[in-house]
Amino acid sequence: MKDILLILGLILIVSCEQKFKLDPNINPFFQEWNTQFEVPPFLDIKDEHYMPAFKKGMEENLKEIDIIVDNTQEPTFENTIEELERSGKLLGKVQRVFSNLASSNTNSQLQELQRDLSPMLSAHYDKIRLNEDLFNRVELIWNDRENLNLSKEQQKLLSDTRKRFVRSGALLSNSEKKQIVEINSKISELTTAFGQNLLAETNGFELILDNSDLDGLSESVISAAYESATQKMDNAESDNDREKYKDKYLFTPHRTSMYPFLTESTRRDLREKLYNSYVMRGDNNNETDNKKIAVQIAKLRVERANIMGYQTHAHYVLEENMLKSPDEVYDLLIQLWKPALKRAKAEVDDMQAVADAEGKDFKIAAWDWWHYSEKVRKQKYDLDESAIRPYLSLDNVIQGVFNTTNKLWGLNFREIFDIDLYHPDARIWEVTDKDGSHLAMFIGDYFTRSNKRGGAWMSSFKGQSNLDGRERPIVVNVCNFPAPVGDNPSLLSFENAVTLFHEFGHAMHGILTNVTYGSMAGTSGPRDFIELPSQLLEHWVSEPEVLKSFAVHYQTGESIPDELVEKLLKAAKFNQGFINTEYLAASLLDMDWHTLTKEDILSNSNDFEKKSLNKIGLIDEIAPRYRSTYFAHIFSGGYSSGYYSYIHAAVLDSDAFEAFKEIGNVFDSNLSSRLRKEIYEKGSTEEAMDLYINFRGRKPIIEPLLKVRGLDGSLD
Amino acid sequence: MRLNRVSFTLILLFTSLTANSHNPERLVISEIERGQLTFENDQIAAEYNAALKRQRIRRLNAMTWIKKVYIFIKAGFEHIIPQGIDHILFVLGLFFSTLKFRSLILQVSAFTLAHSITLALAALGFVKLQLSVVEPLIFLSVVWVAFENCLFKQTTKWRPLIVFIFGLLHGLGFAALLSQYGLPKDNFISLLLAFNVGVEIGQLTVLLVAFILIRLIFRKYKSNNQLKIPASILIGIFGLYWFIESLI
Repeated sequence: MKDILLILGLILIVSCEQKFKLDPNINPFFQEWNTQFEVPPFLDIKDEHYMPAFKKGMEENLKEIDIIVDNTQEPTFENTIEELERSGKLLGKVQRVFSNLASSNTNSQLQELQRDLSPMLSAHYDKIRLNEDLFNRVELIWNDRENLNLSKEQQKLLSDTRKRFVRSGALLSNSEKKQIVEINSKISELTTAFGQNLLAETNGFELILDNSDLDGLSESVISAAYESATQKMDNAESDNDREKYKDKYLFTPHRTSMYPFLTESTRRDLREKLYNSYVMRGDNNNETDNKKIAVQIAKLRVERANIMGYQTHAHYVLEENMLKSPDEVYDLLIQLWKPALKRAKAEVDDMQAVADAEGKDFKIAAWDWWHYSEKVRKQKYDLDESAIRPYLSLDNVIQGVFNTTNKLWGLNFREIFDIDLYHPDARIWEVTDKDGSHLAMFIGDYFTRSNKRGGAWMSSFKGQSNLDGRERPIVVNVCNFPAPVGDNPSLLSFENAVTLFHEFGHAMHGILTNVTYGSMAGTSGPRDFIELPSQLLEHWVSEPEVLKSFAVHYQTGESIPDELVEKLLKAAKFNQGFINTEYLAASLLDMDWHTLTKEDILSNSNDFEKKSLNKIGLIDEIAPRYRSTYFAHIFSGGYSSGYYSYIHAAVLDSDAFEAFKEIGNVFDSNLSSRLRKEIYEKGSTEEAMDLYINFRGRKPIIEPLLKVRGLDGSLD
Repeated sequence: MRLNRVSFTLILLFTSLTANSHNPERLVISEIERGQLTFENDQIAAEYNAALKRQRIRRLNAMTWIKKVYIFIKAGFEHIIPQGIDHILFVLGLFFSTLKFRSLILQVSAFTLAHSITLALAALGFVKLQLSVVEPLIFLSVVWVAFENCLFKQTTKWRPLIVFIFGLLHGLGFAALLSQYGLPKDNFISLLLAFNVGVEIGQLTVLLVAFILIRLIFRKYKSNNQLKIPASILIGIFGLYWFIESLI
């Protein structure tokens, strides 16, 4: 018997062994990956393989460009545009693996590599983008486009390709080009400085408290603050410093530290102090002040836009978006602004009523918001987060999202256990279509760990393309959910579950995509559009029918009670006046900064900001989500005149989901197949607005969003 | 408010890369909001090991019952040969203690019964002891058996009882390993049994090999006593060495 078992087991084990082997003496990036489903051979890839692969990848890429340029034949779509699509394969291969792992499973070597690679890569792509001979070929094809008999997708590819050259200055004179390079390098210095200043300012303020200052704070907040102080003490260099933190409690303007304090502390004076330290970041007239930098960046951006032939920076940015002009963006934001502000004022009244009932004789101020909104929440929307978690074990939620896409599009998921990924917590599934054909591989990497970046995102290890045969993608979702404790499953909060659906929506965009040219696949569309596929999927998790189908208690197996579902959905409307008002104020501020023209006189960032906020009538109880001096999205990230994107995508997803509500079936098959065909499959092969209209039959409207967020007057 | 995706447009130019949704862009922001990543190797290793265990359980859960049973028998066996040098020494200690087959059977049975009991109790969560405590004690039990072998010509009457008590300890050692390995809830009992069976097979293999070797190679020795003392001294020295090492 034992022998039989042994032999049986051996056969099974052998049959699971890797069927391929890489040559250990050759860099894995220089070899074919005949792995199962062409998943990167993670165990064979070592840190030292990246740099040589990047170097060779860039070298090969430039050679390929030379071949395109040196081609003595007339430039054609095939020998130029399509060849450009084909170029850079090796570079893409290494870049995908590297950029994923540098975020999801990083170490100090990878971090260092990332710093070294960043300038090398941008120089590399500059070489291609500024290659005049290459542009001339593209331009010849562009001028002849009417006679080429190109498909719609090819026309879009041609125009996108050309636009990239043009937007980097290909049509400019040499002196103009030089100016642009100078401006770019100045902007890049300033944005870096802005970010560094902000970091210093955020780290620079400390609220160090005694035992006697902790009124209202919960056990966990107190111990976290004590822990922060102890850590400071342990790292202190001098005895003086050590004494400063000894047996103290530390709070900082980092949001994770500040929000719990503002919510719980009954010490109004201390709330004010901490809150002010937050909103004054970058505005302290010291060496890390950001006011002048913001002004300089804005001025340089207009200058650049003007050279490029655009009226303002916003015009330059928006050209590529779904909303094409500043007018369209302002129009949207102002429409949303009024109902949001109205709701925010009602929320102030609610809070004031609580404060009055407590016998307080002050007017609610900005630093009171978290504390009193929490009291309102407890009264009106009381929801015990910990009561929900047992129903949301990670495996159940994953099953829930799989089932949802199965009902929508007939997709099936099969977990593959014998593929080694980059970390044992990462899992992989084969995704098959309703006819059983292979669609994609999906990797889910859900638990938080110390060598993973914060937040949640979607990315891919392999792209989709039909240019040279059918290539299907490998898509990944990375999240930071709590890892299981002991043998218990990981239990998610409802917010986590929504995040999982959100990221899976991006994954669907990457998985269902079906385009000819890889550069237009999946999530390659404009920023104010690509959150539609993700945010849209969130709506299903909040559908009672769907939620109840997978939210099953991990111990008792019972379905989540109706009463809890009801509370949960009602809670989604809590504090939306505040959330939308602070967000819209920041979005409008962003637009104001970037619709400045050369003639506008701009000297002081604070005056400018004040004027901008007065114009829309922002109330004192709310500050914009980001004030100019710490608006990293627009002054050190890439969101200039793009911060509105979030709410634009929200307008789209609410309006798109409303289509299902109108029919009365969230799994209506006609609608879901249209959704797949027009949105999830198309990537950026058509203008985003056209895609949307193809699906919805009309342009998006804001009313569904107002309803979802309780800004439609239903709560008054 | 969730933040969006990359503005890597320039970097991704001309490659067929699709941008990450939510990635590097938001990392700039989150570093400012949350501070930079620090790497604490101990923590990363601990997280990695916990993840490995989760992965093992996932993989096991996906297997057929028969394969799971095979894997646990194998794991039990491997915990004796080659990983369980402490258990091997202990069993050899028993082997060299007596020439009488009956006495050996009695001791080995007591040992088996005892470690099965604690293995089950610990696996079910009724008993818990730190491996750092159990391990030195196991080596000490090896030393004791060797010591006793040298001291008495015949095994004492209370020998099976002592072996039984030591067996309880060894069971805890097996359980510690098993818990690192992870036991799927669905087939808890059958896999626990399978693991135990593996341990027994390993143990019997040690005895069998020892028996054959002694019979084949050392046939010239008339009395086991000639071998008993030097072998036990050797076992005792090894046991002592590892005992001290496990304390450091």
